[in-house]
Amino acid sequence: MSQVKLSRRAVLSGLAASPAAMEFLRSAMAEAQTSLSQSGLVGKLEGPTMVTDPAKWPTKFAEAPMFADLVKAGKLPPVEQRIPAEPMVWQPLNEIGKYGGTWRRAFTGPGDVENGNRINSSDKCFFWSADGSKIVPSVAKAYELSDDGKTYIMHLRKGMKWSDGAPFGADDFVFWFEDMYSNKEIVPVPIPDMSPRGKPGRIVKVDDLTVRFEFDVPYFLFEEMMAGDTNIGGGQSVRQAQKLSYGAYSPGHYLKQFLPKYSSVDACNAKAKAAGFDNWLQMFHYKKDWSLNTELPTLGPWKMVQPITQQIWLLERNPFYYAVDTAGNQLPYMDRVQFTLGENLEVINLRAMAGDYDEQERHMDLGKLPVILDNQKKGNYTVHLDLGFAGADFLLQLNQSFKADPEIRKWLTNADFRRALSMGIDRDQLNETFWLGIGTPGSPVPGESMPQNPGPEWRKKWSVLDIAQANAMLDRIGLSKKDSAGFRVRTDNGERLRIQIIAVQAFLPYPKLSEMVANQWIKIGIQADVRELERNLAMTRVRNNEHHIYIWNNGGTELLYLFPRHAIPVDPTEAYMGPDYATYYASGGTQGTKPDDPNILKMWDLFSEAASLKVEGRNKNAQEIWKILADQQIGIGTVGQSPAGLGVRLVSNRLGNIASRVCNAQHCRTPGNSHPETWYFKT
Amino acid sequence: MLAYLARRLLLAVITLWAITVVTFIILQLPPGDFVDAYVAQASAMGSAISAAEAAALRHAYGLDQSYLVQYMKWLNLIMHGQFGESFEYSRPVTEVIGDRLWLTILLSFAAIIVTWVLALPIGIYSAVRQYSTGDYVFTFIGFIGLAVPSFLLALIVMYLGLRLFNVNLGGLFSAQYQLAPWSWGKLLDLMKHLPVPMLILALPGIAQLVRIMRANLLDELRRPYVVTARARGLAEHRVILKYPVRAALNPFASTIGYLLPYTVSGSIIISVVLSLPTVGPLLLHSLISQDMLLGSTIILLLGFLTVIGTLLSDLLLMWIDPRIRAGQLR
Repeated sequence: MSQVKLSRRAVLSGLAASPAAMEFLRSAMAEAQTSLSQSGLVGKLEGPTMVTDPAKWPTKFAEAPMFADLVKAGKLPPVEQRIPAEPMVWQPLNEIGKYGGTWRRAFTGPGDVENGNRINSSDKCFFWSADGSKIVPSVAKAYELSDDGKTYIMHLRKGMKWSDGAPFGADDFVFWFEDMYSNKEIVPVPIPDMSPRGKPGRIVKVDDLTVRFEFDVPYFLFEEMMAGDTNIGGGQSVRQAQKLSYGAYSPGHYLKQFLPKYSSVDACNAKAKAAGFDNWLQMFHYKKDWSLNTELPTLGPWKMVQPITQQIWLLERNPFYYAVDTAGNQLPYMDRVQFTLGENLEVINLRAMAGDYDEQERHMDLGKLPVILDNQKKGNYTVHLDLGFAGADFLLQLNQSFKADPEIRKWLTNADFRRALSMGIDRDQLNETFWLGIGTPGSPVPGESMPQNPGPEWRKKWSVLDIAQANAMLDRIGLSKKDSAGFRVRTDNGERLRIQIIAVQAFLPYPKLSEMVANQWIKIGIQADVRELERNLAMTRVRNNEHHIYIWNNGGTELLYLFPRHAIPVDPTEAYMGPDYATYYASGGTQGTKPDDPNILKMWDLFSEAASLKVEGRNKNAQEIWKILADQQIGIGTVGQSPAGLGVRLVSNRLGNIASRVCNAQHCRTPGNSHPETWYFKT
Repeated sequence: MLAYLARRLLLAVITLWAITVVTFIILQLPPGDFVDAYVAQASAMGSAISAAEAAALRHAYGLDQSYLVQYMKWLNLIMHGQFGESFEYSRPVTEVIGDRLWLTILLSFAAIIVTWVLALPIGIYSAVRQYSTGDYVFTFIGFIGLAVPSFLLALIVMYLGLRLFNVNLGGLFSAQYQLAPWSWGKLLDLMKHLPVPMLILALPGIAQLVRIMRANLLDELRRPYVVTARARGLAEHRVILKYPVRAALNPFASTIGYLLPYTVSGSIIISVVLSLPTVGPLLLHSLISQDMLLGSTIILLLGFLTVIGTLLSDLLLMWIDPRIRAGQLR
């Protein structure tokens, strides 16, 4: 982190210490942002420390009072029998906490399940360190990759249990692989995560606590896949909620009763009908969803006691949770997590400012930061800004497989045209207006602190305002003719060239941002029409390959292989840079269209080769891909590395063990990897 | 009278059937279906749903069948007093709507009663004391009530509540009662929370009815029979209440027909803003996520309320106004 290029962000994060930095600090103070840079809003990345040396583990254990009573009444086994012989041991950030209290939070309805998934994300097999840079144990205690990269062995914790007290082990992985993932009615096609180079992998039980993943080709990337927020490694909560059926393990001892394999289709359908479902599959989707089914055994710190379909979504401590603090107290400290329904984001923000929530980062609006800061004292909370790592919180993705209009296609696929568009954007104006000056302008390339960043110059490549060069470039490529209003005209019929931007309302007001870009492009003679569409309709347009430019962010691409879709066209789910090309890539060339741009083919080669490379090789390939992306500008970055998504964090002053900055990234499952189970109420 | 009622009930059933058809068609009109909406949501969560998986989901939820088959299945369910399963909630529609329906009805009736209780005397006052200071004040407030969108009013009231009294005005229950089973305490808590949403919901209706009442009554007050009554020496309050007010009452009765559905559908945004656990936000949400059966059931419910409301208002009109009674029963 010491090599971080100096920027306002660096000053904000308190990273600047060298004389040059002090100089920069002074000049930054002169700017209007003085109050922000002095406010200490951006802290340093920190979190609880994992104790991995068994010699330092506690030998005596304690539990929450609400469980002690149950143990006395004989309704629950004593705490030492509930936690694994090999628990996860946390040294909390500041001090050993106290039991009790309800963490109040907001959610927006049954679609907001991710809100709770993230809090329970220590049900992932592996996770990331507090700064988001290293893979650390979680549900599994260790892994080994064979020298040829074809075998991945995972070791589980001895004596670990599900929230209903049943033992957790290798059988749960085998159940998921054989009875859920391999059942064509539940998962019709294999996921890429489990099929490197299209060759399906297998899960085999070695013994009760050892699982082996076998692949036909080298798959060194798999260690990252198991730790990332991927289909295979995401954990039970997120990957088996909302009708999904991924996530590597599942509670077979409970779910078998709903599968035809263990009785018959008729019996399961009859059972489903009796419970009000149409067929067994519908019932299965309900039964394996932790946010809906209170009976489902889980592994996270809190289990669900009142479903997400209610006004209040309520979680309560899991009596068999596998982590303790260094004093031997079983975690979590807080008894309950209570999500209160707020269907309107304005209302949620208003309530947060009234101090109605104890910790809330989700749904908080960066645009309201001044008011949020104003109310700190009244609402008895402290604000932290958690900067992201991704290059662009507002990314213009140019459809490379567009065909409907040959003239438009000609320009969208012309690198100089794209570079000119990029140089025609005044990123500082966007930053000041929509990010309050907190973001970092530049290309889509991730921040310099990330291992896959190819070097600081690539953050600037073609991504600094230069109207003169942009105009010269457009003149040179054949767009020199203009109409009476000064806009460049099409080369085929002499009418004005109109580029369409599709924007949906999301984390930032994308349509308004797009309007500002369209206004800036007037200076380079480009007419852009902004279309604000409802997300569903927009996605339908994209799937039909009808869009010119689509607006989204590239959050998650800071670790390229775990979430590549907003960097390169490889995933047809959201292929804004070329749906036809992504389909071609994903189908192994059987569907879609083969790109004629050699740069895309080159990136694909680097990308697919990376799965079989060790970490240094993978990062090198990623850097090469980012260089091509910055040079080619098929995605135009604007402003990034900001707290715009999940980065405005309001924390009650009553809470302890709170990090001054948490890793705000997809793979960190914000706030999951700051381990809310170690937070506690001081008063 | 009985024959009239029977005829009206038969018409109501046919109307409801027509509503099911129209509802179903309208909800199929937007592009895509629930699975499309679901795939969009899953991709926002970082999950890739393959085309084959989407097809499997469509099959499991019967969305791959023709619209006619889907409609017949739904109609068949309704005949048996069921409404199918909400895709998004994975629970039967009746369970999802559940308590929300009763709270909606409670809120609606409370709002209607407030509307009447306030609009009637104010309307009479404004007409009888035309161009007095009081009339001007009420007219002014009335026009504000009509002109300001209720959701904005709700936001302002919430903001003021927070700013001046540091109270959160949203919701129908305090935090400690939200999860509790029904009790006296919870009922009292509900009563405490009811006035604000009730008033905000009622305000546009009040303003409108005051204006209508005032206009109608002004017409009536100039009629010769009023002069006659005065000439015969009847007390002023009797003159006004016994005849012209009764004649001017018609709009009060006839508005029930649309007031009932209005308090559900017209209150959607207010309910979203005030976080009221009513049916309104559910409808909005089901339309966004294209949750067919939930959306159609709520719209059917609204249709049912309209039909019932119209029937009630017709009966009331007949009771109030002999002229209508004679016309209808002829």
